[in-house]
Amino acid sequence: MLAPTGQRASGEWIDDTLRARAEEKGLLARTPLAGEFPRQRVELVRGADPTAEVNRLYRLRGWTDGLPIVPPTLGRIDEMLASCPLERHVSLGEVDPLGGVATVEKLAANAVMAGCEPEHFPVVLAAAQAILDPAFNLRGVQTTDENVAPLIVVNGPIAHRIGLNAEWGALGPGWPANAAIGRAVRLVMNNLGGGWPGAVSFAGLGQPGRWTLCLAERERDTPWPPLHVELGYRHDQSTVTVLRAETVINVTGGLDELASVIGSAASLFGILHSGKAGVILSPLTARRLAGQGLTRADVRRRLFEHGRLSADVWRRSWIHTAVREDEWPDWARAAARSGAIPAVREPDDLTLVVAGADLPIPQHAYCPSWGHPPCRVTREIEPEDSIGRR
Amino acid sequence: MLRASAVAERAGVPTASLVCEGFRGQAATTAAGLGLPSLPTALVPGHVDVQSPEELRRNVAAVTVDAVISNLTEAPPHTGKADVEPGPADVVFEGTFDEVNRFFYENDWSDGLPIVPPTAERVAEFLRFADRPGETELGVLLPDRRRATVWSVAVNGVMAGCRPEYMPILVALAEAMADPRYGVEHSGNTPGAETLIILNGPLIRELGFNYEQGALRDGIQANTTIGRFWRLYLRNVAGFLHHRTDKGTFGNTWRVVLAENEDVLRRIGWSTVAEDEGVSGGNAVTISRFTGGGVIASVFGNTPDRMLPYLADSVARKVGWELMFTVGMGAGSQRPLLVLSPILAETLAKGGIDKATLRQRLFELARIPDWQFERYVGEWTNLVPGRPTLIGLVKAGTIPAVFAASDEPDRLVPIVCRAEDLMVAVSGDPLRTNAYAFAHNGILGYPTTKPVRLPADWPRLLREARNR
Repeated sequence: MLAPTGQRASGEWIDDTLRARAEEKGLLARTPLAGEFPRQRVELVRGADPTAEVNRLYRLRGWTDGLPIVPPTLGRIDEMLASCPLERHVSLGEVDPLGGVATVEKLAANAVMAGCEPEHFPVVLAAAQAILDPAFNLRGVQTTDENVAPLIVVNGPIAHRIGLNAEWGALGPGWPANAAIGRAVRLVMNNLGGGWPGAVSFAGLGQPGRWTLCLAERERDTPWPPLHVELGYRHDQSTVTVLRAETVINVTGGLDELASVIGSAASLFGILHSGKAGVILSPLTARRLAGQGLTRADVRRRLFEHGRLSADVWRRSWIHTAVREDEWPDWARAAARSGAIPAVREPDDLTLVVAGADLPIPQHAYCPSWGHPPCRVTREIEPEDSIGRR
Repeated sequence: MLRASAVAERAGVPTASLVCEGFRGQAATTAAGLGLPSLPTALVPGHVDVQSPEELRRNVAAVTVDAVISNLTEAPPHTGKADVEPGPADVVFEGTFDEVNRFFYENDWSDGLPIVPPTAERVAEFLRFADRPGETELGVLLPDRRRATVWSVAVNGVMAGCRPEYMPILVALAEAMADPRYGVEHSGNTPGAETLIILNGPLIRELGFNYEQGALRDGIQANTTIGRFWRLYLRNVAGFLHHRTDKGTFGNTWRVVLAENEDVLRRIGWSTVAEDEGVSGGNAVTISRFTGGGVIASVFGNTPDRMLPYLADSVARKVGWELMFTVGMGAGSQRPLLVLSPILAETLAKGGIDKATLRQRLFELARIPDWQFERYVGEWTNLVPGRPTLIGLVKAGTIPAVFAASDEPDRLVPIVCRAEDLMVAVSGDPLRTNAYAFAHNGILGYPTTKPVRLPADWPRLLREARNR
């Protein structure tokens, strides 16, 4: 077994910090074996049922998300890395807040545990690079009392190749790639970053999206150029785009219903920090709108114009009393004077993704954002010119 | 460069260390080893050596400058306590021979060959042959800043396949490794040079070292396993690991111990390498890091005058970019080694040459044209930046006057600063007229000699070991 947990560049293991924090918070019952493991790269687990023993040990050491994991044996890790262009000891950075070094090998261990197949690993790598981008503010995401989680959107040919679902129930259970890739990112945050609930991560309620929140764009049935092409990539490139999602709110109906929810469910933190939000649009609605001659930009503008929060609601909100009016961004105060505030600073701050089943009564989703700085981080998957390729 | 920054940071002076893209990982691990894991670095995209001035300017302006400013103006994040490693006597694993080997290999504790499992019993047996207790500290080794102890010497000696009676030599090697003059911290540098251990003293015969045919080839337990020990100790205690702290572009396999033929040296009245390096009497190890070498086959002639031009030419030919250590970084630290087979040494001695005269004659003969010298360290490599001329360096007082005997670009200049910088050893097939020349890595592995200290009851222990 390869230790999936984080070691800092200075050599310390983050588990010692985690054990101390868990102890302080009276949470050691969840992880009674926190910090108790051989301080080395590889550990041997024997016994009549080693898989069960690994699961028991890892759960008690705090290395799982509560569900059983696939034991990260060296053989499985080697398979995960067999076609990886990066050398196994290359570091992609340190995972906030506790700073475990994200070597390719450690990422692979967590991907194995999450149930990833080797073909999923390029997406995990790119998603890890995206959440390590300072713009993503992983420290904030991990430690805030908000329930934010990374929303992982995949574009390009890889999605189809690895069976990443963009259609029926794309954000629901039943799709191995969607489930395992998102889970791998969460395990990386838990095991390399140390985002243990209650000890380091103070999300009040959490959300099921903290297990996995990963889907592909339904490019084939999208009337417009797909998200990554809009962001400047070619059709034949594959990308991962990571947003910070406070939650996923289902909206059934048309653009008006969607706008109404965007306005009423706008995140006040999002407004305060001029954050970016995500919108998942049903393919049928996308086609209808395109039929009316609307582009992606037009749809964003419509949602921006119509998805507004009443200035009265804003003024009565707890956060308005907590944060002085002159600390709110200019654009929000200016909009408030006209009676309603858009959910985001400008239309481009809405990230539009087309996905879901082709239902006659269309379903969409609104993913309000959280925090600072505004972020939408895109990384190419398996770029041709990446430095340090094997 | 990070080591200089670490010194400055410790003195309270903010630093920015410029790090080329391919070196970021090494910078991070080295900084951690220096005890300053958040030592600020500024990225230089790509590698400067292959960029045009315009490209470099663009890269520096776009990336490096901002990083330098933040390096110098922002406080580095707080760094925590060091990691606790298993205690010296902790049993880290129990299992079969195959399991132990797989486990050690996969934890990066082995070099890919099977190791002898370092059991408590085997380690205890090794410690009986040491003159000091196991917990004795022999120094602190970079990059991991781990303490070198007699205990960890024994553990790695067991693993390497050594016999317990090699212990005194292994301890002396660890002391030499920890000597700041040697510079173990450079062992991961890109030219990837490998250390040669030269052994002198009665132990050569007592422990059965090979010093005749095949002196530099594996196959004899003492020479081979002690060579392997060196590399394991670099790995497990100093902390040099592939793809991490080790940046050797190619590297090469560890070298077996070179034992001198002291029977011949005594007969012809020549000093040993250890004596040349200032350690006389008894046993001694000399370590020095060589970038490469090669055989000088069929030295023809029966007088020094006929033999020396070929030998000197071969010594000079082995040295190219390494001339930077003669006149640039660590000027005067280039220490090439010439190994003579006994028959060559004896023929030279018969011609009336002692060791000091030999080194002087080689110094005078192993020369290359001034223009060629300057090309190696300047035009072709930029290893001595600013393209200084040898004449300029002499005027600046960096190197001796011998490099500026005239201002003629075709004049011949030496490859080292002083005759004593040339090392000469005698070993190999006694009756074959071959020699071997090594080019040296300068201050990044400077020759360091340590006496070998034997335990008080060595004769009894040795008899016991022989009859085991």
